[in-house]
Amino acid sequence: MPGRATSLAILAATLCAAPILAVVWIGLSGETGDYLRHLAGTRLPTYLLTSALVGLIAAGGAGLIGTGLGWLMARTEFTGRRTLGWILILPLAVPAYVAAYAWLDLSAAGGPLHAATGGLFPTIRGSWGAGLMFALVLYPYVYLLARNTFSSQSADAYNAARTLGAGPMSAFSRTSLPMARPAIAAGLALVVMESLADYGTVSHLGAPTLSIGLIRAWSGAGSLVDAARLSLVLVFIAMLVFGLERAQRRRARSVNAAGRHKPSPRIRLSGLPALGALTACLLPLTLGMLIPLGRLVWLAAHTETAPGLVAASWHSLSLAGITALIAAALGLATAYALRSRTAIATLAARAAGLGYAVPGAVAAVGVIAILSGTQSLLDPAWRSVTGEVFPILLTGTGAALVFAYLSRFAAAAISPAETALARVTPSLDGAARTLGASRGQRVWHIHWPLIVAGVTSAGLLVFVEVLKELPATMILRPFNYDTLAIIAHNFASDERLGEAALPSLLIPLVALLPMIFVARYLSRQDP
Amino acid sequence: MKPVKFFAFAASLAVAACSQPADEASETAQVVNVYSARHYSSDAAIYAAFTEETGIEVNLVSANGDQLIERVRADGERSPADVIITVDAARLHRAEEAGLFAQTDFSDLTDTVPANLIDPEGYWVSFAKRSRVIAWSNTRVQPGEITSYEDLADPQWQGRICVRGSGNAYNQSLLASLVAHLGEESAEAWAQAIVDNMARDPQGGDRTQINGIAAGECDVAITNHYYYAMMVNSDDPAAQAAAAQVTLFFPNQETTGAHVNVSGAGIAMNAPHPDNARALIDFFFSDTAQRAFAEMTNEIPVRTDVSWENPTLAAMLPFNEDDLNVSDLGDHNETAQRIFDRVGWQ
Repeated sequence: MPGRATSLAILAATLCAAPILAVVWIGLSGETGDYLRHLAGTRLPTYLLTSALVGLIAAGGAGLIGTGLGWLMARTEFTGRRTLGWILILPLAVPAYVAAYAWLDLSAAGGPLHAATGGLFPTIRGSWGAGLMFALVLYPYVYLLARNTFSSQSADAYNAARTLGAGPMSAFSRTSLPMARPAIAAGLALVVMESLADYGTVSHLGAPTLSIGLIRAWSGAGSLVDAARLSLVLVFIAMLVFGLERAQRRRARSVNAAGRHKPSPRIRLSGLPALGALTACLLPLTLGMLIPLGRLVWLAAHTETAPGLVAASWHSLSLAGITALIAAALGLATAYALRSRTAIATLAARAAGLGYAVPGAVAAVGVIAILSGTQSLLDPAWRSVTGEVFPILLTGTGAALVFAYLSRFAAAAISPAETALARVTPSLDGAARTLGASRGQRVWHIHWPLIVAGVTSAGLLVFVEVLKELPATMILRPFNYDTLAIIAHNFASDERLGEAALPSLLIPLVALLPMIFVARYLSRQDP
Repeated sequence: MKPVKFFAFAASLAVAACSQPADEASETAQVVNVYSARHYSSDAAIYAAFTEETGIEVNLVSANGDQLIERVRADGERSPADVIITVDAARLHRAEEAGLFAQTDFSDLTDTVPANLIDPEGYWVSFAKRSRVIAWSNTRVQPGEITSYEDLADPQWQGRICVRGSGNAYNQSLLASLVAHLGEESAEAWAQAIVDNMARDPQGGDRTQINGIAAGECDVAITNHYYYAMMVNSDDPAAQAAAAQVTLFFPNQETTGAHVNVSGAGIAMNAPHPDNARALIDFFFSDTAQRAFAEMTNEIPVRTDVSWENPTLAAMLPFNEDDLNVSDLGDHNETAQRIFDRVGWQ
């Protein structure tokens, strides 16, 4: 359904890119001061270098963990695998800044880890610390996409390599890995972009990335215009990263074209290898989730429970649920549109991804600019009828929040949907058409079963992102409207980690609800 | 294969979320809309007491000061904001520059509030104070070795100072006050010396610095007074133990006075409920509110004639405060920021 999909994709792109374009406009139209020159002569090189370092460490770590676990989950069988398959996604629901606050508290001078090891345990800080935090909580991006790809791969190539005398590792790296590369690259692109757009983690751990420079330009120098200009650099980096990812995808297309799918049998692990696999799964889970949250819980034992958590859980759940559904739909539409290979569809997909590059606080400024601009446009007409200014209907509503979320996170929905849709090969469509299936029948009976896992994963990613989103939520929310992330951050920013514990814990718990739902739905799909 | 069920679940979410009461500014009920950069538990208690006393409901959005300023500015004439509250003088100044505050006659407050805490032009008024002070190790620093912020620049402190990053508003305001007192050149030399004397790259918040002293990583730290008070008053034995190894010192007592920053509020330019806004601001100076600041957040109440119970805070008072008008901090904020950039204070 190219026509409808393309129009939906364009809608998605417009929605997602508009706030970023507004920020670009703010940056280009504002007055020119000497702040940027001052910055170029002082800290800009540090910002760029740190950004590169943090991005690389995050990508390297997340790539390693995500790919390894994805392969284990897709291609092997061992006790506990089924349960772990979903639990391994949960660290994504731990906001990176929460992990950072807990780890610094544990490992800094005076912390229990520092004391227990006589200062041997390194303090988790700086570029390395921040990169590590991102790797530990963002690896599920790579993991989810890699797992989907590995489990749908034909075993033929791998088996052929084995027959020709390659060991399991070598066969993996020569056949399975290259075929999974587009999916891994898509996951890595998300990891890098999210690391670069982060503010809370890098500021607490002392890793001055470009987003620190950007927020300083805004808060210190009071220049939103210069902040907007700096965010252009981030947008440029995003285009570069997503460009590289697309290049991967193109290179891999020919490899993936095998029409015949022989489901590969899982390698059954027992004894020591099974134990090793279990350890490999539990290690990132422990470092990314159990230890930081455990530290908070331990501190919470000494503090009172913050009020308002029930309402905040509900707000988080509903905002994340609505956004995830819309994002999954828009992501799927964009993926369909991309199949048409038209220039406009490609442009739309790229534009929709840009929001991911910009810190939430800046994306929120774009949303505010657009909504208040729209309201101002309506003023004259409204005034001629009622004699008053147009009422404040757009800013400070749930709709403004969903708008900002979509703009930020649509990219997280597009890549998984696109990867999923790659499973629907043209020959499959052709066969169905030959057998007389209508377009609706093809989509429903052939496409949907193949892509449902990918599409629900896409929705899940966005769901979890929204749960932990902070800066845009803070500034755009309606009156008296707290989310779990906001309550957690308010306490954590004062280093009151005990009070931050319960809301921080509730975020992954709330994320578990849709995960269980999706897991059950998918297991009925795929008996 | 029942995607229908999936979407039914989703739709039920959507419906339920939309049926949530939004910002119900109903016609009859009295309300005041507050945009606040504070997120402390004391404030929730104060708002509850205010509603109890006046019947006026408080609607609250809290966020970072710069973001609040941007939201009010963009909403312009139609902004529902009545009261804008920030926790840093520079932000008050910036909101004033952006034309967000309505000029108000706060002269009736001058009986109880020192003049340097009220904006000369009447755009805003401060209701609670925090001081940025020096903490040192009980064992490795002798009383008298440090008397002022300027002393920290001495080479004898090389590798001995812990301080957080310069993106933090409190560090910016401290340096802004030094710019005001010493001039830009001397302030820059001071900042450079602090960077040279740092025991480690800046990391964490003020509590992290106090913990750094307790753990022996550094001997001296710069911190807001209430973080130390928070640790002393904490239920967490580890925090108490760390604080017990540290002395808090209010510097520059013989000269300019210790640096003070404020929480302040002003009435929004287009406030739909200006009378309620004024009532709420007045309430911040009530015995109830002033007492809550002292007891719940360890802030220094601006009124000295209100009694409260907080032995930790009481032990710190009184001290000589820098009587620079806090609006000057706003004027020098950008200069301070550029100095930080030039000297490489992370």
